[in-house]
Amino acid sequence: MNLGFIGLGAMGRPMALHLQAAGHTLHVWARNPASAADLPATVHATPTALGAACEVVFTMVTSSADVEEVALGAAGLMHGMAAGSLVVDCSTIAPAAARHIASRLGERGIDMLDAPVSGGPQGAAAATLAIMVGGTAAALARARPLLEKLGQRIVHVGPQGAGQVAKACNQIIMVAAIEAVAEALRLAGAAGVDVGKVWQALSGGAAASRVLEVMGRRMVEGDFAAGIEARLHHKDFGLALEAARQSGAPLLLAASVAQQLNALMALGLGKNDTAALLRVLETK
Amino acid sequence: MQIAFIGLGIMGRPMALNLLRGGHRLSVWARRVESMQPLLAAGATGAASAGEAARGADLVISMVADAPDVAEVMRAVAGGAAPGLVAVDMSTIAPAAARRIGEELAAAGVDFVDAPVSGGEAGAVAGSLSIMAGGSEAAFARALSALQCLGQSIVHVGPSGAGQVAKAANQIVTGMGVLAVAEAMVFAAKNGVDRAKMREALLGGFASSKILENHGQRMIDRDFKPGFKSWMHAKDLDIVMQTAHELGLCLPGAAVAGQMFNAMVGCGLGEEDSVAVLKLLEALSGQS
Repeated sequence: MNLGFIGLGAMGRPMALHLQAAGHTLHVWARNPASAADLPATVHATPTALGAACEVVFTMVTSSADVEEVALGAAGLMHGMAAGSLVVDCSTIAPAAARHIASRLGERGIDMLDAPVSGGPQGAAAATLAIMVGGTAAALARARPLLEKLGQRIVHVGPQGAGQVAKACNQIIMVAAIEAVAEALRLAGAAGVDVGKVWQALSGGAAASRVLEVMGRRMVEGDFAAGIEARLHHKDFGLALEAARQSGAPLLLAASVAQQLNALMALGLGKNDTAALLRVLETK
Repeated sequence: MQIAFIGLGIMGRPMALNLLRGGHRLSVWARRVESMQPLLAAGATGAASAGEAARGADLVISMVADAPDVAEVMRAVAGGAAPGLVAVDMSTIAPAAARRIGEELAAAGVDFVDAPVSGGEAGAVAGSLSIMAGGSEAAFARALSALQCLGQSIVHVGPSGAGQVAKAANQIVTGMGVLAVAEAMVFAAKNGVDRAKMREALLGGFASSKILENHGQRMIDRDFKPGFKSWMHAKDLDIVMQTAHELGLCLPGAAVAGQMFNAMVGCGLGEEDSVAVLKLLEALSGQS
């Protein structure tokens, strides 16, 4: 089918290529045309023009405002896409924003799924992303064969916005775990113990986890080159705490971790991997 | 002078009464008509809208809940404003929102002062509020005689938005202060120590504060009537934490205090005074 993809960054590019490799005709629009230059795809001048050519359009951009602009803006998808077409937003944005955008598209008969992902650029490249879906069962049934080209675990969490709620929950657990690993290794270092040995010892026990394995290794090796840029987790924590305020759910730990992320930003480490939370703890 | 007063809630009503007592002529408007009654009885004129209240006024004062309310009121005021009007917003809103509203009003020829207050209902009734003002020197000077009817400590902190920055800082201190006093209360009680004696002992030392004195007494008396509703403290700390997020500020204490007030809203304690955080701590500590 004719398939659109908007947002060709570290995550979006390999995802778009998987969809194209599965035999679909790929259409792209990029804010920066250079990022679409060497793709086996038709490049469009605006999201509206792309939308007019596609049955299904994927978006993978940064913020609530970006998705809103691409979908509802003056040159947005809603002005081009036909009634009965489908938008699949894989970005991580506020649940309230996802519901708002879906309802505006719905006025034009355009269906929408929020389908944020977990797994990072590695997962995107290997097509092993975990995908959390909000929307109708019918829309998901339509998108499922496409989503299966991107990930292995696809869970229908609930109605529109529910995928973004699940993603906020995912970020709370993951980044709080990164902070826990950073604090443990900082304690080891401060107490004069070999940090690598502590990491090795813990990896075989009850504290073992994927975060300890991957992020712990980066901390031990002092490798803070981004997997996922910490500034994105900083953004995500803003969304999680906003959702908490709207629902009266107390997020004591997440609120504290958010302060460490604020400090990380202030130290100019936003483009580092989130493993750099260790460096915040080492700040004198 | 002729003053329009908009917003007659727990804080606004006694403030408006103090302006009447100070000899000012008052035109009032509130969203709920019945909340205007005490003011009309005291000699104020009632208006059908914020815009109508402001017509012919030398000064407009608003005391409402949140930034969208302030923006709506001020837009109505700007619509019928005489040149040189000064508008003073005494609500607690985000510094960025105050700056934006100030710019909009300036374009309509209205001088804006953000002047949030601290001191709660008791301070509003007694005319002893502490007032933190942001805006131009000239606008502040024109508002000062009216503000003197409302508070004793009136500080011109800086340009537009500076009053709200000071108020946000005030909420950091009071939010953590209330939580600290409540924690001390459950700590004493769980150790079998009389809370009132603990408070009395601490008031003589370095931990002495107005919060320990006033809020501590209300915790001992189990007087949870607002006062200052805990959902509003949650809102104010949300303003603080959003600003911290934007600026890259690490505020770990305020973050946790904010979540405790957030939990109060979730537990159905949002309409009670923020001293009711004591109840939440008691429940979590197995005290009843």
